[in-house]
Amino acid sequence: MTMNDAFDQRLKAAFAEAAEPLNEKAEAEAFAAKLVAQLSHPDRKRVLMLGGAGSIGSAVAGTQLEGVFDQMQIPAEGLVANFAFLMAPETLAALAMALALGMVALILPRRIA
Amino acid sequence: MRASDEELTALVMATKNVAAFGELVRRHQGVVRGMLHRMCRNHALADDLAQDTFIRAFEKVGSFLGTGTFRSWLCSIAYTEFLKSARKRKSTDRAMERFGSGMEDSEAPRDMGNVVDLDRALTTLKEEERVAVVMCYSCGMSHSEAAEATGMPLGTIKSHVNRGRAKLQAYFAEAEVVAS
Repeated sequence: MTMNDAFDQRLKAAFAEAAEPLNEKAEAEAFAAKLVAQLSHPDRKRVLMLGGAGSIGSAVAGTQLEGVFDQMQIPAEGLVANFAFLMAPETLAALAMALALGMVALILPRRIA
Repeated sequence: MRASDEELTALVMATKNVAAFGELVRRHQGVVRGMLHRMCRNHALADDLAQDTFIRAFEKVGSFLGTGTFRSWLCSIAYTEFLKSARKRKSTDRAMERFGSGMEDSEAPRDMGNVVDLDRALTTLKEEERVAVVMCYSCGMSHSEAAEATGMPLGTIKSHVNRGRAKLQAYFAEAEVVAS
């Protein structure tokens, strides 16, 4: 506890007066808004690190996918055969990479609790 | 109905609710920034430290036990941030020399009459005295809360407050004599 004489009151009043501009509504709102925005959005470093790691991972996986899909047996006749051009190993590998990159893009804006 | 600090803190603890934390920031930013302004005497640095204080508080809100007030818990984090900042500038002593050298060179005194006087008066105190005085008079913390926040023994805090107060009283008395 601080003492409670005249000088004490004067000192408290001086500190209160010094803090007065900071307690104005606009000032408080601006400071809080800036801070909340910072807490709501992940920082750039994290985005770059995760984005970089995700992209490299996807690229490495993509180079392997073509070999995997190359082993698939595609029917020579029937309905599926009409769309066989869509299921070329390159197309499937590109789709898998797009999916992986899409997942990375989905996860990036989320903050890890 | 306005939610209490305890209710908002519980909400932030449970859900990491940024909006609830924003309300706590709105309520306490004045005290935290005021305390750091008086300690650093550099408004830009003080605001940066205040921002770090609130981010740190958000991250470790789970460690708030509720034994003291939320405000004094925030002030203790702010004090830690202040010390870390002083250490970053190589040593607290060098920072003290800067505090002791009068008004900062990079920033002209604001048009606040008594505030400038107060800041000048605070430069006459030792760092520990200034911290103790600012915590007790600016943040409204009790001696025991200030002791807990700074990690100093209660008796030491009381001595610092009394010595600091006496120095400020002498400074203002002298200033009044010069003015009259």
